[in-house]
Amino acid sequence: VSQDFSQDAALIRDFLVESEELLEGMDQDMVALESAPGDADLLNRVFRALHTIKGTSGFLGFDPIVRLSHAAEDVLTALRKADLSLSRSIMDSLLAARDQLGTILGDVRAGGLRSYDLDPLLSDLQEALKPQTVPPLGEMLVKEKVISSADLGALLSEQAASREPRKLGQLIVDKGLSTPAAVGEVLAQQKKLTESPNAAQTLRVDARKLDELVNLIGELVLERNRLVQISRDCATGKLSSTDLDSFLAQSTARLSYITDELQNSGLKTRMLPIESVFRRFPRLVRDVARTLQKEVQLIVRGEDTELDKTMVELIGDPLVHIVRNSLDHGIEMPDVRERAGKARQGTIRLEARQEGDQIVISVADDGAGIDADRVGRKALERGLVTAERLRLLKTREILDFIFLPGFSTAEKTSDLSGRGVGMDVVRSNLKKLNGSVELDTRPGHGTTVRLHLPLTLAILPVLLVRVAEEIYALPLRSVVETAQVTPQHVHRVEGHEVLCLRDETLPLIRLGEMFSITDRIADDSALSSGTAPAQKVVILGIAERRVALLVDQLLGQESTVVKPLGHSLQRCAGLAGATISGDGRVRLVLDPAGLLASTQSQSNVHRKATA
Amino acid sequence: MKPQESNAIAGPIPESPATAPSAGELQLVSFHVGGEEFGLDILRVQEIIRPQPLTRVPNSPEFVDGVMNLRGKIIPVVALRRRFGLDPVAADKQTRIVVVESKGTVLGFIVDAVSEVLRIPGNTIEPPPRLAKVEREYVSGVGKLADRLLILLDLDRLVADSDALVAPPALGTGASA
Repeated sequence: VSQDFSQDAALIRDFLVESEELLEGMDQDMVALESAPGDADLLNRVFRALHTIKGTSGFLGFDPIVRLSHAAEDVLTALRKADLSLSRSIMDSLLAARDQLGTILGDVRAGGLRSYDLDPLLSDLQEALKPQTVPPLGEMLVKEKVISSADLGALLSEQAASREPRKLGQLIVDKGLSTPAAVGEVLAQQKKLTESPNAAQTLRVDARKLDELVNLIGELVLERNRLVQISRDCATGKLSSTDLDSFLAQSTARLSYITDELQNSGLKTRMLPIESVFRRFPRLVRDVARTLQKEVQLIVRGEDTELDKTMVELIGDPLVHIVRNSLDHGIEMPDVRERAGKARQGTIRLEARQEGDQIVISVADDGAGIDADRVGRKALERGLVTAERLRLLKTREILDFIFLPGFSTAEKTSDLSGRGVGMDVVRSNLKKLNGSVELDTRPGHGTTVRLHLPLTLAILPVLLVRVAEEIYALPLRSVVETAQVTPQHVHRVEGHEVLCLRDETLPLIRLGEMFSITDRIADDSALSSGTAPAQKVVILGIAERRVALLVDQLLGQESTVVKPLGHSLQRCAGLAGATISGDGRVRLVLDPAGLLASTQSQSNVHRKATA
Repeated sequence: MKPQESNAIAGPIPESPATAPSAGELQLVSFHVGGEEFGLDILRVQEIIRPQPLTRVPNSPEFVDGVMNLRGKIIPVVALRRRFGLDPVAADKQTRIVVVESKGTVLGFIVDAVSEVLRIPGNTIEPPPRLAKVEREYVSGVGKLADRLLILLDLDRLVADSDALVAPPALGTGASA
């Protein structure tokens, strides 16, 4: 079958140049896709390339190209929608289709289309579109070599014979054939096969959630109308004051119900599964591990944990930092691991879960861990701490140096292996999200970094405290406890004040003094002269660190919406933002991490002063 | 940006009898701080409000009196008296907060009193004479009126000097009462 090419030679030339370029790009992308099946960018690129080729071919009447690329496109669409997961055989058919397209294009360049037998290719591609069946757990367990197939047979017949059959996984664990962890892993794999992951590029909201929102808005409008009526009746004197009181009470009660509901459903529409963040890690781990010539497996858990859209967008980079650190400094070279009696392949576990009103994301590796002594020595070298103070610090406090900016930059230029790179960035990013980061390490056994995030950025439960005439809000998340103290609890250590509460010694901040609201003399005399025999303290905790805040009065809890203070005011130490109180006044929200940091700089200042 | 009418302007500002604005003519909001009369381009003034309860911000620049709630947005408020190195006075019935906008920054200036909206021909404005050094930095000129002088403020420089008091850009000033 020959084609008349006189139609528009220039057009075809352009088409060939473009298509050959696109096919070349596809080749690379498809190979990359095989090792990173979840990479939406790659998938989209391949799809777009194919789509462009198809479009122009249709216009030019190259029917075989259109048929083939259309069939391949269908498969890619299913992959993009995650209706299909990329298997080796699917990739083989896609690559074969791509090669065939290349052949056809070559023929076009050489002078004309020939006849092609596309049927085997087309049927392969169609085959790929058929729904994959999820293998039963037993089959998967055997495939993953958790149990032998003989064991499986025995277990299954036992299960069938039993009157109260136990679950297969339970049986395996009970019989000691495998560990709960191994079985759980396979179960998670199976679950992944049954569920299609949702893409998070756009915010897909359940129509019901929106209906609910619209309904609530409708109710809000009704309530507004009612209030307008009340105010009108009041102005014309139609309402007695008792009527007014009861109407207003009813109306505000309904209003607060509606706004609470609105708040909840509004927030629900913003929640996304963290899966979209986690998706990039298999690829990242694989690539970095290969570059470093390490063997690493990544285990991802809790991808379906939902968190606020903003958080999903901002948590990616800090996580990349941490995982890279684990790969770079945590996991040892295979030979080193072997000598240490560990498996050659290191493991990194990336996990998300909800704990109360927090989301906890953890990155755990089974690598070398961090040597606190070494960190301490480095801190000493950098002048971040004095030798005598270093002796007093607990391991956890020493590890905290890793998060100091100076520490990490020094680390980059040093050949000493250590963690530090970018950890200050991680902490400051987390602070932006109202979250915190903590680090746990066991030398020789590995390191775990945990990120704590609030469920949502929009609403912050706070504890209101009064200091002199000012009222401040403290994020409730960071409040460990409140207590009454007397002057006997306050001591001086190395020139700064500490609070001895039960068996703990905590740095003490006099908020009034720190914010120059009250002066120390007044405070002191009140504390020591007995005019204020007991004062209130709020114990704040960030990760494992604690600080005590001396205040005049505890006013109670409240849910607030935090607003930014503006750039230059934001820099004021110890402030996280502001909120607007019921009477319309601005109330400052304190930043526990900033307050904690200020106790550290205090001790630094003190050290310099005495040195 | 027109001054807010419903709840914002505290009492009408008398407009001096004048013709429609023509080219070369400046429309100014004039106000008093410490016995002097100042003028600000009316287009830069968002609204003029009565004194609001302010919240002190610890460790903030000295002339920042605090922050206030402007229809749900939090903006810094600068006491112009303190900014100009004058002794503070207690707020009285005349005290106003002039809310201005400069390069996306919204902030409030506390002034002793707001007098009127003026139209003055551009050619009556003269370069700043020798003033105290502090003031000269953000004075863009002096306007001659029939019976008095008006100091024209260079808002952008005044704001920039105020240690870049950046507030989030206005989200629309049309919030209804």
